[in-house]
Amino acid sequence: MTAYIVRRLFATLPVMAVVAMFVFFLLRFAPGDPAAIIAGDDATAESIAAVRVKLGLDRPVVEQFGVWLWDLMRGDMGVSIFSNLPVTRLIAQRVEPTLALSLSTLFVAVALAIPIGVVAAWKARKLVDRLVMGFAVLGFAMPVFVLAYVLIYFFAVQWQLLPVQGYRPVGEGFWPFVECLILPSVALGVTYMALIARITRASMLEVLQQDYIRTANAKGLATDRVLLLHALKNAAVPIVTVIGIGIALLISGVVITETVFNIPGLGRLTVDAVLKRDYPIVQGLILVFAAAKVLVNLIIDISYAFLDPRIRY
Amino acid sequence: MTALLEVRDLHTQFNTLDGVVRAVDGVSFDLARGETLGIVGESGCGKSVTALSILRLIPAETGQIASGSIRFDGRELTGLDEEAMKRLRGHHISMIFQEPMTSLNPVLTVGTQIAENVVRHLGVPWRAGRERAFEMLSLVRIADARRRLDEYPHQLSGGMRQRVMIAMALSCDPQVLIADEPTTALDVTIQAQILDLMLELKEKTGTAIVLITHDLGVVAETTERVVVMYAGRKVEEAPVEALFEHPLHPYTVGLMRAIPRLDVEADIAGKRPRLQEIPGLVPILTRPIIGCAFAARCPLATERCRTEVPPFVDAGGGHTVACWEVTR
Repeated sequence: MTAYIVRRLFATLPVMAVVAMFVFFLLRFAPGDPAAIIAGDDATAESIAAVRVKLGLDRPVVEQFGVWLWDLMRGDMGVSIFSNLPVTRLIAQRVEPTLALSLSTLFVAVALAIPIGVVAAWKARKLVDRLVMGFAVLGFAMPVFVLAYVLIYFFAVQWQLLPVQGYRPVGEGFWPFVECLILPSVALGVTYMALIARITRASMLEVLQQDYIRTANAKGLATDRVLLLHALKNAAVPIVTVIGIGIALLISGVVITETVFNIPGLGRLTVDAVLKRDYPIVQGLILVFAAAKVLVNLIIDISYAFLDPRIRY
Repeated sequence: MTALLEVRDLHTQFNTLDGVVRAVDGVSFDLARGETLGIVGESGCGKSVTALSILRLIPAETGQIASGSIRFDGRELTGLDEEAMKRLRGHHISMIFQEPMTSLNPVLTVGTQIAENVVRHLGVPWRAGRERAFEMLSLVRIADARRRLDEYPHQLSGGMRQRVMIAMALSCDPQVLIADEPTTALDVTIQAQILDLMLELKEKTGTAIVLITHDLGVVAETTERVVVMYAGRKVEEAPVEALFEHPLHPYTVGLMRAIPRLDVEADIAGKRPRLQEIPGLVPILTRPIIGCAFAARCPLATERCRTEVPPFVDAGGGHTVACWEVTR
């Protein structure tokens, strides 16, 4: 198993190299000249050229890539064109809110979706199942921003139970930290909850038809053991897969949610950097997101081997 | 002596889009302590449904026991609540199935699957359950049992998996073991080993066995008494020797003629007799059968066979048959 994990870790390197190359060249060939933007509206051709030389944009593209890649290896993603601050530091400052939001969203989604899906499959075609699946369709169809404003209206404005928006670092106390995360996590999490619950139900329904479930029942095992051990462990691979896809989709959801709830995370940083064509920041962010996705995929792949002993690499 | 298991006039039905299927249509039989009873008949005759009915494992969405009585050790099972049934299953009555490939859980170790049964019913700690699992694997003669405990079903051969199923089923010393086509999915050489093993363990533990099969050869070798079923009904019941020496019911006679026999001399002479099939088809079970279920295919059938259900008649020595013509 250890050898497999190490091998998989090494296998991520070429993927990351391709991502790096893609990111670099995509932005270089995109329209819009950052030198012209920085120099300002009334800049002369000379001042624009001066900015270009300062940023190294006048040198051959391949050379720019080499320099950029070498710096990247040393953890230097360059400096922001506008604020002159190191990109690594800018990203590091914004990681905590995004990580907190993503993890709490996933927690809300998974912790509710799996029990819901299991119960729905167990009580298939009964009232509980129909209610649950009805809500799942509704939850899946509801855009994040709509649900977000509805939640804010009731929980923050009308009943004043939770803050309207904002973010408090965990260092400022646990409850203030959690309080700010509840509404954004729920708003963002409902879609994933619906998705995961549906897959859990479908996967469980299939497994519950299997001969080994009949064997488990013929042994007189308690219902919870049959459902949660014999059935759920067999149903787990599709569920884990969809959770992995959910994490990947979460990144775009985070951008919207951070905007609605005014959370200073990576999503907001991304939007700002793209609008200003701040190349170094955009590059750094795409790399961070890509690395996160590669890592999630790796964890999912490894978890398969733990869940199903027949899967060996 | 009262029977350990008494099935009386059991009716089990399935609700399908084509109507109610009478899968088991008034079957009665007894099972004595330590006895081996065979239930034989072709596919769809209601053998397996009878077995599942005894354990009340018919899924409620699809079917139910419509009427009849199943008494185990003096206790009526048809009205028993689900919790009490769960304490009975796998403990006093256990079951093994046809497909050892799919009947074991692929993601749990063999040891876990045996131990959980023991822990559930005997209330022992997990460690003791594992130890019992080891004993059981040794008992069913799985080599290197200690190591096998931590293996998964896909690491075992078909014959070994059926041994594991047997070990699991016998782990709580049940009084009744229901074996539903336990050897059908196995190679012929393995079949004999598994049957021998079951009989040997029966001698050791005194467990009564209900052996469900379509294979008359298996019945002849392993059982003491046989119930022949056709279209959801019992048509004949006899001690095994009596059944093979004097099959009475025309259906049983037909089944015996349909057994292929090895006859080397006839083969060499090019005069191998043609295997005799039973003409006609099994009746459709969504329609109530009037008269004898076998009448439409029976060479002896008369008008009365098509209109009146034949009663069971004692032919002596525990041999009973439901046929108007042979008992006339």
